[in-house]
Amino acid sequence: MRTLILMVRKDLLRKARAPLGLLVVLAFPIMFSAIISLAFGGGSSPQVYLLVENLDDNLLGNALISAMSSDQMGEYFDVEVVGEEGRSRIEDGDASALLQIPENFTEDIIEGKPCSLSLLRNPAQGIMPEIAEQVSLVLTEVLDGASHVLREPLEAISPYVLGDSLDMSAALVSDVSVTIFEAMEGAEAYVFPPVITFASKTVGEEEAKDAEEEEHDNDSPAIFQIFLYVFPGISVYALFLVGDLAMRDLLVESEAGTLRRQIQGPISPGRLLVSKAAFSSTVALISLLILTLFGWIAADAPIDLLAYVLLSLALILAVVGSAAAIYGAAGKQQRGAVISSIVYLFLAFAGGSFFGIDGMPGIVRYIAPISPFYWGSNAYRALLGQGATLTDIMPSIGVLAALGLVLLFLGSFLLNRNLLRGGGA
Amino acid sequence: MFQVENLSKRYGDLQAVDRISFQVRAGEVYGLLGPNGAGKTTTLSMLSGVLKPDNGRILFDDIDLHADPVKVKQQLGVVPQETALYEDLSARENLKFWGGLYGLRGSDLDQAIGKTLDRVGLTARAKDAVKKYSGGMKRRLNLALGLIHEPRLVLLDEPTVGIDPQARVNILDVVRDVAKSGTTVLYTTHYLEEAESLCDRIAIMDHGRILAEGSLDELKKQAGEEETVTIEGNFEAEAVKAKIEEVSSVRLLSVEQGRAVISTGGSGEGAVKLLERLFGADLPMHGISIRPPSLNSLFLNLTGRELRD
Repeated sequence: MRTLILMVRKDLLRKARAPLGLLVVLAFPIMFSAIISLAFGGGSSPQVYLLVENLDDNLLGNALISAMSSDQMGEYFDVEVVGEEGRSRIEDGDASALLQIPENFTEDIIEGKPCSLSLLRNPAQGIMPEIAEQVSLVLTEVLDGASHVLREPLEAISPYVLGDSLDMSAALVSDVSVTIFEAMEGAEAYVFPPVITFASKTVGEEEAKDAEEEEHDNDSPAIFQIFLYVFPGISVYALFLVGDLAMRDLLVESEAGTLRRQIQGPISPGRLLVSKAAFSSTVALISLLILTLFGWIAADAPIDLLAYVLLSLALILAVVGSAAAIYGAAGKQQRGAVISSIVYLFLAFAGGSFFGIDGMPGIVRYIAPISPFYWGSNAYRALLGQGATLTDIMPSIGVLAALGLVLLFLGSFLLNRNLLRGGGA
Repeated sequence: MFQVENLSKRYGDLQAVDRISFQVRAGEVYGLLGPNGAGKTTTLSMLSGVLKPDNGRILFDDIDLHADPVKVKQQLGVVPQETALYEDLSARENLKFWGGLYGLRGSDLDQAIGKTLDRVGLTARAKDAVKKYSGGMKRRLNLALGLIHEPRLVLLDEPTVGIDPQARVNILDVVRDVAKSGTTVLYTTHYLEEAESLCDRIAIMDHGRILAEGSLDELKKQAGEEETVTIEGNFEAEAVKAKIEEVSSVRLLSVEQGRAVISTGGSGEGAVKLLERLFGADLPMHGISIRPPSLNSLFLNLTGRELRD
């Protein structure tokens, strides 16, 4: 036992002296998950700063500006109405784009004449002007459609909109309203997507539901929910890479001659293997503790500690076993590194470490259970994000432990045959 | 006593070691001398227990290495040909690990580390990472790791290959010091002068077999009284061969493009006739040397090749 501790301590000391590889691997899941979470779950959306030069200054021109400044659109657009200076401000790079509403815009639409909105993009920006252009295109389509669908009522109200008279009779208002209603009703199937909804509610339920959602939103914002979904899968992948780095050390030692030297000393090949497996497990355990700290910060629900510990031990067994099997089969450091990169990447994708397998093709969902990443990622997601218990994740623990043991025995046999029996050279 | 009996090892069609037997007495420096590929490193790999022989036995104080490897290996110190060190660790940390593997603990370990560092002259740089060491310093540390536990027998596999002359002298001094302290040393080399200056007894190996064995004096006697004449120049091998064959008492040992080695047959008359013939011939020579009987001439006599091959 003392010799085993001595050997593991020596390897840990060496790892501490050259920690870069390990740190990069550990930083990967933290950085990756944080970026994904920030991109899809947190922070305010970037706003498009849009200048509008309204040469129309009539009903529809003003309505267009109002629409773009509404609460819904305001989330994406910061609209400023400008005069002639709009073009020079775009040239100076002050805004993302300048939307010009032409003179007689309202009149032309009501009279069914062709008219056009023009958009001047800021060439120094890439995405924002593109968003402005796409939204303007949609608006143009909507206005174009509306001018056709509502042709009849528009013609009816045109004298009042374009002229000075506001003296509309009640009968005319009623007729126009009915016509608009009928036109909209007729176009409904084409303009609005068919949506079937069914809602059942009890008095008081909605208030309670709203309160619950509000509470949940306060406790676990979307950014943490996404982090808790992405982080476990990427962390499982990173742990396999950590185990790979640690077990690869056996071949590094083989090439450095120190493995052979230990066998020339009073160390049996079996004890050497046990020491390297213990070292790999220790490094994986330390890494897991570091990653756990980050997961713990993001998790809002209490976690079943026993389930977490057992799952982690099973995962470490799978990590060490996989690395032993790969390097035992490869026999050479470089070859093993290439094989493990490909195998782990494939299994991580297939097992849903990076993206959930629900959205993947059927064949991937079918083969996912052969990947240890599938069992590890899903079990940690369930523990951290869904409050799963030991019973819930027992199948994952069983599969990972069994797989780890089988691979460890296979790896030990291969390493002994391919590496140690010849003296570690 | 270290005893090797009928040791053999074959790799496919290659008989790397062929039924070799020898004994190394306690406190003796025993040399295995031979060119590259003679089977020295394979022999040492079997003696250190990392390679299983096809046949034969290795006994240390009558204990069979393969019957009780841990007990025998505790008595051995092995210094491999290539440096085998942890380069991220310091010399002291390397020694601490290897000393610990051999069971040294606490103050015993600290004392052994201090003594060994002093012995190889690395005390001043003991805390530096090995990767910052020069090639010669790494070789000295490589040697130190085999000595940290004060083994009764040290196996040294060509420890001076590829290093500068000064580092070589340092290492040979340490080996002499180790031998003087009563440790038995088995030393493999392909350098004649190292074997001649260091070893009490020498076994000459080639193609996996021991061709001759004995003390330096005994081996020189086996070489006989024959001096060797070496000529070098821009000549064809066949031209030299024809000239030498005209002198009856001399014997051509080896000849190649630009270099020939001739035995004088032990008579002064033969040497004179040979030189007359060589100078009389119009051979474009630029060097000629006459050497007394040596291990090299013995090796030439036994194998038809020079040891430098």
